[in-house]
Amino acid sequence: MMAPDTHHYGFLCPPTDQEEEPVYRTPSHYNPRLTYHLPAGAARHYQQQYGDMYFLRLAKLKPSVEQVARDAWEGLVIAGEKVRRVDRVLDVRQGELCWVAGTVYMELPMKPNILEDLTKENFTLAPIPRRTYTDPSNPEATQIMMEDESGRLRLTGNFLRSTQLATGAIVAALGTEDANGDFEVIDIKLPDLPPQSPRWEGKAPENGPDTGKAHGKIAFVSGLGITGTSGDTLALELLTDYLLGYTGFSETENGSPTSSSKITRLIIAGNSLGASVTTDATADGKPQPKKYGYDASAYNASPITQLDNFLAEILPSIPVTLMPGEKDPANFSLPQQGIHRAMFPQSRAYSAPPPRGDDKPEAGWFDSVTNPWDGDIEGWRVWGCSGQNVDDVLRYMTLESSESSPDGSIDSDARIRVMEAMLRWRCGVPTAPDTIWSYPYQSDDPYILESCPHIFFAGNQPEFKTATIEGDVPLRLDGDTDMTDADGSDVPRVRVLALPKFNETGQLILVDTETLEVEVVRFEVFKGQEEQK
Amino acid sequence: MDSKLYLAENVLNEHHLSGIESRAQSPRQPGQTVRHQQHKSQIEIDTNTSGYRILFEFHRNENAKKPATVHATYVISGIQKTPEPAPTNDNGNDEDEVMASSPYLPSSMPNQGETLDSVITASIVVVREEDLEDAKATFQSISFIHVYSLEPSTLPDLNVLVDASRENASTHAQDDPLECGKQWGMIQNHNVKRRTGPRPPPAPAAKAPAAKAPAVKPKSSTESTVPAKRPLQKEAPPAKAEASKPDESKSQSASAPVSQASSKASSKPAPSKKGSLFSSFAKAKPKTKAPAAPEPAAQDMVLDDASEGEAEELFPDSTEKAAAANRESRKEREERLKKMMDDDEADDEEMPDVDEEPTRELTPVEAPPPIKPAELKEEVTVNGGRRRGKRQVMKKTTVKDEEGFLVTREEPTWETFSEDEPAPKKPAVNVPKAKASKPQGQGQGNIMSFFGKK
Repeated sequence: MMAPDTHHYGFLCPPTDQEEEPVYRTPSHYNPRLTYHLPAGAARHYQQQYGDMYFLRLAKLKPSVEQVARDAWEGLVIAGEKVRRVDRVLDVRQGELCWVAGTVYMELPMKPNILEDLTKENFTLAPIPRRTYTDPSNPEATQIMMEDESGRLRLTGNFLRSTQLATGAIVAALGTEDANGDFEVIDIKLPDLPPQSPRWEGKAPENGPDTGKAHGKIAFVSGLGITGTSGDTLALELLTDYLLGYTGFSETENGSPTSSSKITRLIIAGNSLGASVTTDATADGKPQPKKYGYDASAYNASPITQLDNFLAEILPSIPVTLMPGEKDPANFSLPQQGIHRAMFPQSRAYSAPPPRGDDKPEAGWFDSVTNPWDGDIEGWRVWGCSGQNVDDVLRYMTLESSESSPDGSIDSDARIRVMEAMLRWRCGVPTAPDTIWSYPYQSDDPYILESCPHIFFAGNQPEFKTATIEGDVPLRLDGDTDMTDADGSDVPRVRVLALPKFNETGQLILVDTETLEVEVVRFEVFKGQEEQK
Repeated sequence: MDSKLYLAENVLNEHHLSGIESRAQSPRQPGQTVRHQQHKSQIEIDTNTSGYRILFEFHRNENAKKPATVHATYVISGIQKTPEPAPTNDNGNDEDEVMASSPYLPSSMPNQGETLDSVITASIVVVREEDLEDAKATFQSISFIHVYSLEPSTLPDLNVLVDASRENASTHAQDDPLECGKQWGMIQNHNVKRRTGPRPPPAPAAKAPAAKAPAVKPKSSTESTVPAKRPLQKEAPPAKAEASKPDESKSQSASAPVSQASSKASSKPAPSKKGSLFSSFAKAKPKTKAPAAPEPAAQDMVLDDASEGEAEELFPDSTEKAAAANRESRKEREERLKKMMDDDEADDEEMPDVDEEPTRELTPVEAPPPIKPAELKEEVTVNGGRRRGKRQVMKKTTVKDEEGFLVTREEPTWETFSEDEPAPKKPAVNVPKAKASKPQGQGQGNIMSFFGKK
């Protein structure tokens, strides 16, 4: 297609007379799971106690963590004393070297307290976002405890300073009880990565093995932050053009972004809307009379309309999985249920019809899913959240870096380490239901990662960061993060993605469907002389 | 129409800003359209030419004839250098230079300093003509540059391109993207699943009349919406407590049909047999609206109405009026109550009290409120063996008023319900009952007759 004089960047040349073939997109194999799908209507109860979730979590994960601990500590003799396993935390005897498994509970000075909220009668409001729950000026106020169904045991010791824990994690701790009745910890074991099933769960894809040859890409984006104003995003426009193939590409040259025809699916991980859809009535100072129901003056439909337009524009070419986020019009508590398709008058034509009765809902071309969400894409198990889980666990941690560089690279390293820790805790949202609002599950704790995902992502992070996590590497939250390559194909291997906010970075993340290699495509407007004037 | 002529007309003849965007054109695709936002017109260009190149050629030719007549915006794609240096001030206004010198030949360098964990970061950057050289300098390797848009002069804010394309999108809203996509150069997908059915209203402006429709609740004919209305003539306790005087209670019952008629006309199309002008309007309205909901897509509408039903709950427009009315009536009642309290305190002057109350009550404008909250409405949507809807229930609320008295009121509130079991016969029975009770209400309705029937 290149005319002789056109090898300079392809398109800065007069039109040619050649016929061009339409480009077809690589098909997507998609199987969403309904792990976080809540029953509708009357079957959704809120009377249950949250204690059940912790009980279930401990019951499910205790055998795994005890297995890890037994492998490490059985027969261990320290200073002439043999390490003994203790069943319950209350069975720990003073002066005895032993290990015990339980749930971590952290008491932090700035942690939101539901009882306090209740007494102040502001429990119906969403919690005020806080940067951290810890009090750096008063580290003594942080107490780490281990609890099980029998009771609680306060953990102390220098070891805790070198490790990071969060409420809800199930760990095994080795140590002795000191004179104060505190448990002096000398080592901690985690359940580590859950077993990972191979790609396609061992089964070949339906379309035969030749699908494996075509390298596809899964695209991830989060934090579109559509406000509906014109200052919105030329970047979003460029993203649309790119996804639809209008931007143009040349595969022959290195350094050009991957042809978007290779992208099989777009996953939007939360916070698609920037501005709040309800304008703040009290913003202008004077209290307005409270109106009930739909009030056109208080409701700004523009962001959701623009999101709908964006989706409707790309859906004819690419399937979309849309996860709600913190700022999206969905329920606030996790698991957030999918944004209702009534919000998308144009793009809902691409969504699956509503399920009839108890039928399993089929996956739509436009799939408005839950947050967190898991599913199979191109045979890979994907687990993702819009970022609330990572943000909340970080509030439990006192990061040395936070003083020096507020949003520096150390911070984003910490985010990757938090995500790694979640995988090793086998719990995707450990701090729910303590500090993240959650549906009170009664018979199941779905936040437990029963099987290891291949791709684990969190949206709305300040900076893009990725890492590959492998099993059987001892967790060093404090230490270096270099992942040593372990040989052996049975070792679980996870591609961890911290997705940046698109409206700040303009970045689209592409993950190769064969190698799980990651690429970034960045869209931006060059700040030229006009902006500098 | 010749594309050059088209561009010349649209870019050169307009002195105000007009962007021609090539965004809908892929150089690999046949059949491009150059869209012009202001004239909302489009021309088809030969299928074997590429939009970007057309824009480029036009730009080059025009500026060769007379420099700086056409301003271009470019898209650069490639790998950028690590830090973004501040653009310098030298102006590379001659775009021919772009053609002639190409100093940034693509070099294969997979790993950059900035990219984390050996991740390739490709950039797609929009840049103005005069910044092109500066922008190119920030790239380590460039895979392509093409013309993004043409406009008569420099754009002060590139975001106007977004507005242009939004406008563009709205003019093309009627084109089915699945059919026209190929022509636009869209990457095609064999597996698109789209439900057939009425195409949604294209633009928010055109949506306005449709959005109004749910407020009147014109359920399409395929749905079985039963706006059952149960006039449970329960009197609110505070009203009753004070209504011990016989003439007052009589006046209230006399006003009952009036209130029914007015509330019916204002809020809901109810199956009423009354010959009232209002109610006939209320009945006629949904009839005229119903055909607007497309009939041929009956199948889809059935599937869709679950969402429709919930959409209504999201914006319960219709209840607003009723709520406002209730609030008004409550206020009025409160006022009256307060007055009575005052009167009770001054117990000896009973005569003025008697005189005053009936005259107040008999004015038809004021009479309805005490009765109105006693009406319990219910709206049920039955589809696929499931019942959903809203119903009005009486809820007791105890409020401390300004004077420190505890006032217990029964107020109607809307609550939503949905049941998975098939709709019981009850609402169906209720409709005839409500209808049957209406004629009685017409002839000087007596509340007690309703209770007697039950």
